Amino acid sequence: MFTHASKPGPEPFDPSRRSFLRSAFTLTIGVAALPAFSVPAKAAPPAPGSGTKTGVNPKYNPSWEGWGNPRLDIDDGWNNWHNILNPDNLPIYHDVFERIPESRPAHHWGMVIDARKCVGCQACVVSCKSENNVPLGVYRTWVDVYQTGDTVPDPDGDILVDGERFRMDVRVQSVPKICNHCDNPPCVDVCPVKATFKRQDGIVLVDPTLCIGCGTCVNACPYDARYLNPVSHTADKCTFCVERVDAGLDPACVTSCVGRSRIFGDLNDPDSEVSRLLVEYPSVVRHPEFGTKPQVYYIGMSGDITTDPDPNVQRMVYTYTSNANNSVVADVDDRI
Amino acid sequence: MELLGLEHVYWQLPLVAYPFLSGLVAGSFIVGSLSKVFGLSKFEPLAKLSVIVTFAFLVVAALAPLAEAVQRMRWWELYTRDHIPYSPLGLFIVIWTAYIILVVAEMYFIFRVDNIRLAAQAQGWRRRWHNLLTFGSRDISAGSLRRDHAVLVVLAVTGILLALGFHGYVGFVFGALKARPLWSNPLMPPLFIMSAIVSGIAVMIVAYVLIQGGLSADPIDRGILDGLMKFLMWMILVDLFLDFVDLLNAGVSAYTSLAVYRGFSAIFFPGGPLAVMYWVLQLGLLLLALVMTFFRGIRRSPLWASITGLAVLISVFAMRYDTVIGGELQPKVSQGLVRYTPVLFGIDSWQVLFGLAAIAIFLIGLSLLLLPWEPSWVTAWLGRGGNDGQKIESGASSAEVGG
Repeated sequence: MFTHASKPGPEPFDPSRRSFLRSAFTLTIGVAALPAFSVPAKAAPPAPGSGTKTGVNPKYNPSWEGWGNPRLDIDDGWNNWHNILNPDNLPIYHDVFERIPESRPAHHWGMVIDARKCVGCQACVVSCKSENNVPLGVYRTWVDVYQTGDTVPDPDGDILVDGERFRMDVRVQSVPKICNHCDNPPCVDVCPVKATFKRQDGIVLVDPTLCIGCGTCVNACPYDARYLNPVSHTADKCTFCVERVDAGLDPACVTSCVGRSRIFGDLNDPDSEVSRLLVEYPSVVRHPEFGTKPQVYYIGMSGDITTDPDPNVQRMVYTYTSNANNSVVADVDDRI
Repeated sequence: MELLGLEHVYWQLPLVAYPFLSGLVAGSFIVGSLSKVFGLSKFEPLAKLSVIVTFAFLVVAALAPLAEAVQRMRWWELYTRDHIPYSPLGLFIVIWTAYIILVVAEMYFIFRVDNIRLAAQAQGWRRRWHNLLTFGSRDISAGSLRRDHAVLVVLAVTGILLALGFHGYVGFVFGALKARPLWSNPLMPPLFIMSAIVSGIAVMIVAYVLIQGGLSADPIDRGILDGLMKFLMWMILVDLFLDFVDLLNAGVSAYTSLAVYRGFSAIFFPGGPLAVMYWVLQLGLLLLALVMTFFRGIRRSPLWASITGLAVLISVFAMRYDTVIGGELQPKVSQGLVRYTPVLFGIDSWQVLFGLAAIAIFLIGLSLLLLPWEPSWVTAWLGRGGNDGQKIESGASSAEVGG
């Protein structure tokens, strides 16, 4: 298994010792977090069962809908955000992101998605929801399914229409989508209270204890990677599983990817798998025209897939996540 | 629970009301400053009324985005961790705070002489209340009046600049989000400023007819109505011009980018979800109001001038709706259009808008009762014509108070 070799935690981590993985994770989190506890009173988890009413107790009401008054505590199933966002106290940036390369960051985390290897199993979606406690109805990562090619005339084809024979010359392409952790993130610039930030190692995060939930960042993201969390009532997004990355592990979606389509690593390290893949293969990013400098690169994307919203052009077959609320409009291409 | 889907309309009705209300603030302030800054002394009777209207809508304009933010109890972070100058909403709290300080200062100076008279001569709680409002000032000499006027002129000039900034940045809140093709448009600030002025004049026409005509002993000055309507006519012309430029830059495929044209044509062209809202309510009503301002009879009639004003207000609200909701109907990553129907009750509903309007009307009503905005009421409060509830003698209105 590929794991990015260098990591910020002080505890050395050997990826071959799989049986010690869990204990190493716990230990690294603990050791790495110790000097970062500037607010130890907040960091201390409450006693189990304290402050838990029957109405919000997942034992009695396991659905997210019942969690009307969330306290972002560990015993509510939430991560302890005071430890988790930046245990090593990396410099954080709310704007002027061009200063990040000048600061000589030790790592620059990025992801390469090899679209040739994605089988569309949605294991990444499930593992992300499970790892990060993502509420119903919203997603941090999702896999859209596109279809390229067309039905072409073929004398030996198996489709018979009006006496003519056709063959379906189509390919299904699954496109995993995730927050791009842009190097020039518009969502971070627009936050009025500096609740969202870009860490020196490139990960864009939201502090849910500061966010006022105004929704500006949700509207500002060209990739719709942010959402308003219906439980915490704050903006929320993919974190690259920051607590796992800080512990020297891969994000949950990468770990669970059955085709090894998702590869995570340090783009600053020329020997990392992501760097080698990007050197070896041509890659694209989503919506480069916005100038956001996405750090999630796609290899093997079909050129037939565009970002055009017209269904006839975009060739999206379906998505698990957007059909509930959307309507398809008539083709308006030829007007005026 | 309704599944949210990947994309839905994140900014809903309160965010539609937000630029609408701040437009009323900017516009009504400019109307109130006409006499001071531009020397149009015939609009002087509007000054006190407009500062009351401005103050009420200014307070409510801040409540609208607060109603939209889902963690609104953390509003104080806007002061303690404000992200300026990078965040457009972070600029909001700076300009809003400056503006409310300015309006309160203007209220102090504009009502100062009347408050001093009332503090000296009125009876009961009103004496104590107006004594409080004077902040201990008792100087009504000619020199102090000249100083008041100079201060008010400076405040009005600063306030007009702030009003333009206040509403220009509201356009910037949307124009700064490049993810939305229909918002990311340099025309946004001027478009918002012009429609703000238009709606502010309209609300002052309606308020003048309703409040001055309904409550005051003075008759409605048809010259003021006529002047406001002429002012409205020119502003509507500029606003329609900007609307036309916007239409050219969004609705013609040869002139604009594909994303903008696709979104605009799918949403606003006939058959689109906001076609009626755009062509009939936003453009049609504005055009109708423009035509109505051409007729002298309509300009000088309180009823028809009010109807014109209401048409303009509906048109400007439709413009805010088309801009805010329309921009979000275009999906960022999926296909087709995002579906949206505003709900009647609950969070982000019409109920919130009616609540905001009720707060504004309550604040205006409270200000009318507590501030010396009208000479004949001041005379009544002074006790010359008897107690508060008694009939106001019409002759008192001619007495120039504080002048």
